[in-house]
Amino acid sequence: MSGPADLIPRTPLLKVANLGAGYGGMPVLHDVSLEVYPAEMVALVGSNGAGKTTLLRALSRMLPCSGSIVLNGHELAGMTPDQAFGLGLVQVPEGRQLFDRMTVQDNLLMGSYRRQDQAAVNRDLDKIYTLFPRLTERRRQLAGSMSGGEQQMCAMARALMAAPVLMMVDEMSLGLAPVVVQQLMEVLAAIQRDGVTVLLVEQDVQLALSGSDRGYVMETGRIVHHGQARDLIDDPAVQQAYLGL
Amino acid sequence: MDLLAQILVNGTLQGGLYAVMALGLALVWGVLNIVNLAHGAFIMLGGYASWYLYTYAHIDPFLGLPLTAAVMFGLGYGLQRGLLNLVIRAPMFNTLLITFGLEVVLTYLAQLVFSADFRTINPPYAGNSLAWGPVVLPLARLAAFGVAIVLTVGMWLFLLHTRLGRAIRATAQNLVAARLYGVEPRHLYAMTFGLGIALAGAAGTLYGTVSQINPYIGASLTAKSFAISIIGGLENPLGVIVGGLFLGIVESLTTLYIGQTFADVASFGILVLVLIVRPSGLLGKTT
Repeated sequence: MSGPADLIPRTPLLKVANLGAGYGGMPVLHDVSLEVYPAEMVALVGSNGAGKTTLLRALSRMLPCSGSIVLNGHELAGMTPDQAFGLGLVQVPEGRQLFDRMTVQDNLLMGSYRRQDQAAVNRDLDKIYTLFPRLTERRRQLAGSMSGGEQQMCAMARALMAAPVLMMVDEMSLGLAPVVVQQLMEVLAAIQRDGVTVLLVEQDVQLALSGSDRGYVMETGRIVHHGQARDLIDDPAVQQAYLGL
Repeated sequence: MDLLAQILVNGTLQGGLYAVMALGLALVWGVLNIVNLAHGAFIMLGGYASWYLYTYAHIDPFLGLPLTAAVMFGLGYGLQRGLLNLVIRAPMFNTLLITFGLEVVLTYLAQLVFSADFRTINPPYAGNSLAWGPVVLPLARLAAFGVAIVLTVGMWLFLLHTRLGRAIRATAQNLVAARLYGVEPRHLYAMTFGLGIALAGAAGTLYGTVSQINPYIGASLTAKSFAISIIGGLENPLGVIVGGLFLGIVESLTTLYIGQTFADVASFGILVLVLIVRPSGLLGKTT
């Protein structure tokens, strides 16, 4: 299998090469390589414990790693989380991790904590409230008091307020009703159309692949399949392991 | 009846001062999870700073307060950056030990440098007072109360509405998420501790204008600030105002009806009661 063979060669926005990481000397990730191209939606799928969240933690520099992570020509491997964040690598963490006892509006403004251009921040705030009308109704409400779906919207809106170059969404569908997940997928598609590159990390393989351009399948800390999302859905090995077909 | 009114007014004026004393401790505790046992010693240092400014440079304590607070902010920022950040991830016992050590060092340094003599900041208007019906309002105490309330409400507005204030609250609630969104914790912790110590310095200035300072006042002021923080809750500076006023009034009433020696029994008795009945503080949520 190859990369985006039907397209002229482009420079990847994110290029991860031979990445290794683990906890307390126990290796979790082995020799992970992947590429994300500008304005793509890429799915990173795999079962629970495959190392997806560990990979995200390594990418956002919350975890030490070996190998190389290049975003927009900058090597991230030696950086701190706030430096990587400053280059536009923004994560929507698993379990949302909202500031529960702060209002929705304050949560969104924390997303833009590092941005200096106040006029652009206000413009984005208006744009994001248009994208998430539910959050407009609840802007003065404490984030922790909302429903799971609304909290996930708030977490994604907070990430957008950071003006991401690459938005990494971790287990967006976890614990949410299918109809809510479908709404969130539509929002993600709108975000992608707006020019934001999305790396979607999911246990729900069918959901993630059906909404993405390309996909990577992880198993026990390694990338075992990758390719166009529609090819992966049709791949018998992937079907047997993840899609219950 | 007049006596009761006077006692209530005294308690309220004292309570405002208590609030600003406890505010810095509650802020540092709530955000950094450090119970700063040296907090009272920093109040003491702030008092001496303003005493020196007044005695040798003839700067009125209320005008010199921003200067004292600024110097104390620098001291707090440096201490957090150079010392406390090294143990911030350690169990609370370690930070208790370190701040207890700081309290001892500061107290004995103060004794060496400032001597053990009692000092009072005594501006010319210190003896003046206003009459409000039968109630006497000592001018210095009234001004200290006013400044204390302005500082506490100002702190509340700062935490609610500024970029740094939001980041301080966010970090207190969810450190992982704050770091993911670009908060640099070492700097933010140092800013927070600096603010806490600046408030202690301001409280010391006010304390010096209405009471006597000596190198040993720190420990009892820390204990009182601790009690007020618990009573008011750590969430909200307005809770600290409520806690401070409550304690000030209870102490005044106890002094009047039971006796001066029982004032501390009353305040720490209430602390124990609050811990049992409303552990999240008077204004805290009971979930």
